[in-house]
Amino acid sequence: MSAPTGTAAPVLTAQGLQRRFGGIMAVADVSFEIWPNEILGLIGPNGAGKSTIFNLLSGFYRPHNGRLRFFGEDITGRTPSQISRKGLVRTFQHDSLLRDMSVYDNILVATVSTVRDRQARHRRVEETADLLGLTDVLAELARNLPHGHQRMLGVAIALATRPKLLCLDECLTGLNLTEVGRALEIIRQIREEFGIAILFVEHNMRAVMQICDRIVVLHHGLLLAEGTPEEVSRDPKVLEAYLGSKR
Amino acid sequence: MPRNSVGMLVAALAALAVLGYTRFGAGDFGASVIMLICVNALAAASLRFVMLVGELNVATAAFYGIGAYVSAIATVWYGLPLPVALIAAGLAGALVSVLFGYVTLRTKGAYFLLVSFAFAEVARLVFTRIDAIGANSGMTGIFPAEPLALWYPTITVVVAMALLAGLYGLERSTLGTVFRAIQNNDSVVQSVGLNVLVVKILCLAVASFVAGVGGALHAHANNVISPGDFSFLVAVFALAYVKIGGEGHILGAVMGAVFLTVLGQYLISLGAQEAIFFGGALVLAMLILPDGLYGIAERLTRPLLRALDRTPPEDSVKRSTAA
Repeated sequence: MSAPTGTAAPVLTAQGLQRRFGGIMAVADVSFEIWPNEILGLIGPNGAGKSTIFNLLSGFYRPHNGRLRFFGEDITGRTPSQISRKGLVRTFQHDSLLRDMSVYDNILVATVSTVRDRQARHRRVEETADLLGLTDVLAELARNLPHGHQRMLGVAIALATRPKLLCLDECLTGLNLTEVGRALEIIRQIREEFGIAILFVEHNMRAVMQICDRIVVLHHGLLLAEGTPEEVSRDPKVLEAYLGSKR
Repeated sequence: MPRNSVGMLVAALAALAVLGYTRFGAGDFGASVIMLICVNALAAASLRFVMLVGELNVATAAFYGIGAYVSAIATVWYGLPLPVALIAAGLAGALVSVLFGYVTLRTKGAYFLLVSFAFAEVARLVFTRIDAIGANSGMTGIFPAEPLALWYPTITVVVAMALLAGLYGLERSTLGTVFRAIQNNDSVVQSVGLNVLVVKILCLAVASFVAGVGGALHAHANNVISPGDFSFLVAVFALAYVKIGGEGHILGAVMGAVFLTVLGQYLISLGAQEAIFFGGALVLAMLILPDGLYGIAERLTRPLLRALDRTPPEDSVKRSTAA
């Protein structure tokens, strides 16, 4: 496997991750790297272990085996808030908002751990809202927003911490075609503007193929394939996992 | 005139009126009712403060009791001045709550409710087992030192107001926003790098400081304390004040305390049946006043405020308190 940026060190190294739930092996043995400034797609059929991987990376689950390194530092077993303060920040597939609070306060809370100064926090909130098209709805309660805005608010909360690695968990779910296009544009813009790496979990294959530099395919808790979108989409193992084998 | 300055002015005038009345107009009985209102309001505000992070803290009763005993020990045994006793009571409540919270605030919802209930009862039983503090019969002769005795009701009102104002300030600060964020969704709060457990312990400690001082004021107003005064019912009554007054605003806790304490004075002749009326009031309030007395007051004063201030109250939307 080759790094897209040649000699640079990886942002994140996952090594032999394993996590069981009772008798079920959700993630059996998964290793991969995320390189600086890349958008890495993580895909796989339902139950492949994508969400478990997400929870392992962000510290919400402890791996039963394996190591996680973030910029070379071992972060295995750290708590979610410790990992977030190091710069690895995730969004949530469901329940990604502070529903009974204003959009402003949603983003404000995300600035608290990284920005000390009041004024600077205010600026951070406004910049972030602007980037995600939320400036006009800052005073609205999160639960009253239309679905598209709610999805972008989930991203805004994570982005307001100014992460070094942004992990997006199915942030396009339920968006219509125009909204998906707009969201992809925003994600590219985030990468350009902050020069960060993005891990992108998504069911929308067209979007994944469009935006990702590399893709990691999971199946039954194992790494099935890894490569560029073209490589992966031609891989017979991947086609079999998604469509079933010819009998 | 912006509505915030109007609010401050009204609050300052009301505070002065209450203080003047307490000192010069109320008489002994009136002053004792006012003190009862103050300590009840503090218990209610303490309970409500932990509700900001989404937990119902029955152990409020325990910290209230610890404050009462610590202050009584300070003034009766050691002859310390009242301010020292009050501060010691608050610190004792806060300190014990930190130990309690460090262990228990990892749970939430029904689990925390049950653990805090258990803690309240254990604390009460501990009071009954310690002979040095009077075991079941408690402590007597708890008076503030002589030069302050005349002013004690006034001091009670001042201390209560200062603590309520402090709680309100914290609630409106960024820290208060983080509290409500935890109530909404603690996973999101963790994911943005905040240590939820530490923030919850901090919230509990502040609330328990207030409960401790409330207990100390209770002890010196009542002059007698016994373990029975600090059963979980303290928290149940505090919850009644909060619910009937309206949990959306700290003034709701105060309004509930005023209303039910005054009502209680009329019902006191009913003895044990008094509780039926409190229960009934609680059910009625939940059915017909979802926002409590504060909700009514807000609705009634809204046209007035709008007339004072034509601009839309954006701030109140931004910071609208979660139900």
